[in-house]
Amino acid sequence: MAAVAKTIKVEIKRQSSPDAKAVTESFEIPYRPNMNITSLLGEIALNPKTITGADTTPITYDSNCLEEICGSCAMLINGKAMMACSALVDKLLGAHEHGQQPDLAKTITLAPLSKFPVVRDLAVDRSVLFENLKAVKAWVPIDGTYDLGAGPKQHPQIQEQRYPLSNCISCTICMEVCPQFNDATGFVGAATIAQAKLFNMDPAGSVLKEERLRALAGDGGIQECGFAQNCVQACPKGLPLTEAISDMGRDVFVQQVKDFFTR
Amino acid sequence: MAAAAPPALPTKLKGVQPLRTGEGHSFLWRRLHSLSGIIPIGAFLVEHIVSNFETWNGPLAYAQQVKFLNSLPLVRILEWAFIFIPLAFHALYGVWIAFRGRASVNVYPWAGNWGYVMQRVTGIIALLYIGYHVWTQRFSGVSLPENPAYAFHKVQVELSNPWILAVYVIAMIATCWHFAYGIWLFAAKWGITPGNEARKKFGYVCAAGGTALCFLGLIAIYSVVWKYPNAPIPSMAPQPAGITEPAPVVVTPGTTNPSQPGQVQ
Repeated sequence: MAAVAKTIKVEIKRQSSPDAKAVTESFEIPYRPNMNITSLLGEIALNPKTITGADTTPITYDSNCLEEICGSCAMLINGKAMMACSALVDKLLGAHEHGQQPDLAKTITLAPLSKFPVVRDLAVDRSVLFENLKAVKAWVPIDGTYDLGAGPKQHPQIQEQRYPLSNCISCTICMEVCPQFNDATGFVGAATIAQAKLFNMDPAGSVLKEERLRALAGDGGIQECGFAQNCVQACPKGLPLTEAISDMGRDVFVQQVKDFFTR
Repeated sequence: MAAAAPPALPTKLKGVQPLRTGEGHSFLWRRLHSLSGIIPIGAFLVEHIVSNFETWNGPLAYAQQVKFLNSLPLVRILEWAFIFIPLAFHALYGVWIAFRGRASVNVYPWAGNWGYVMQRVTGIIALLYIGYHVWTQRFSGVSLPENPAYAFHKVQVELSNPWILAVYVIAMIATCWHFAYGIWLFAAKWGITPGNEARKKFGYVCAAGGTALCFLGLIAIYSVVWKYPNAPIPSMAPQPAGITEPAPVVVTPGTTNPSQPGQVQ
């Protein structure tokens, strides 16, 4: 019996340059079990032809580690913000349980994140997160002209609270899914607020605590959060983002009151 | 030699702008907006619904409640300072907040996301309703501060139109929802309930409180529409604008107690 060649149908929103018009190209690629979206994009790069057989270019997208730790491959998969490396094709085609067969009649759609300027195809410019992290000084100031010696001790209780926040991979999915992160508000987004908390809790980093809290009270700061809680639902690394926003909301408020009376 | 070329201007990023450290006062306004929803507006909402519950005891009881509220000291100043001005600020700033959000429940249909959208929808329902309600019941028709006896009748006439009755019921539910979820959001954003468990538990508290308040309000609507059909206007002395002094007591000289003339103790 001749087996019918099994294929996966993919539709990709593409754009050749930052200012070019976006177009959608369809692809049909051979099915293999246990693929993820990055391997699917790899298959297209091996044979860059659209569904009609027309020659095209390989899809541009950011990726690095391929194991959900570098944070580069966030994109819209079937309309939802996800990491391409940890988005499994079989699951996207309806095979959620082991042994279920994927529904190959379904089409997978890929598009760039919608709230960041497109560089090309699925690659977007996420510099805004880097700028925001700089604005809140999300670092420990340890550079000196001489040896500063050993840092202060960190209690395990503090370390346990900080560890989940240190898992942030800067993928910007929390910002993409946030209804308040947009051109009108210029909201800073959950990732930056969580990193400000992480470094405020660091025994050495806490020296910049007041500066971070003041930064987060600027326009586009923590006050723009509408507590829709999409960030914590969508975060691929399960960061306690709503808890961080709540804690930082209190700290920023207390700092503002303190500054009002004492500065 | 010509001066060196000026340094390149910092290029403005495309897309969403980064955090504006030290710029603007939106933190203050947003926090004031959040607080004003509870004090004074939320407190007034509770007072209003509890007062309306007097309709359960009939037109006279309701009239006495209206008279009591309107005899509070500096009542017109209280009304503007603690109701109208904060309400106008909360409403208009709230509309501005709502129209700057980009709702995404079609893509991410999660409970919190629906809560976000509903808070904005119920806020706009409440704004439209309150605008109508304040105009019809406070600023047009018979003036209730001067004529509290007409309070029950005025509301009953208004609610005799089934469409307006439906508007009142929808607005009561929307307003109570907005208030209850607003308290929950306040606790979450101001860092009173940071933990997931704390937020969940407080969610039940807000839901119970909001439901109870809503029922009180709906019972008041029931009383006006069905419990006292064609209620008469209770006879009640009109409320004078100022204070009337009772007739002065004539004191007989050399008396300590006017009711016991001639006795000195």
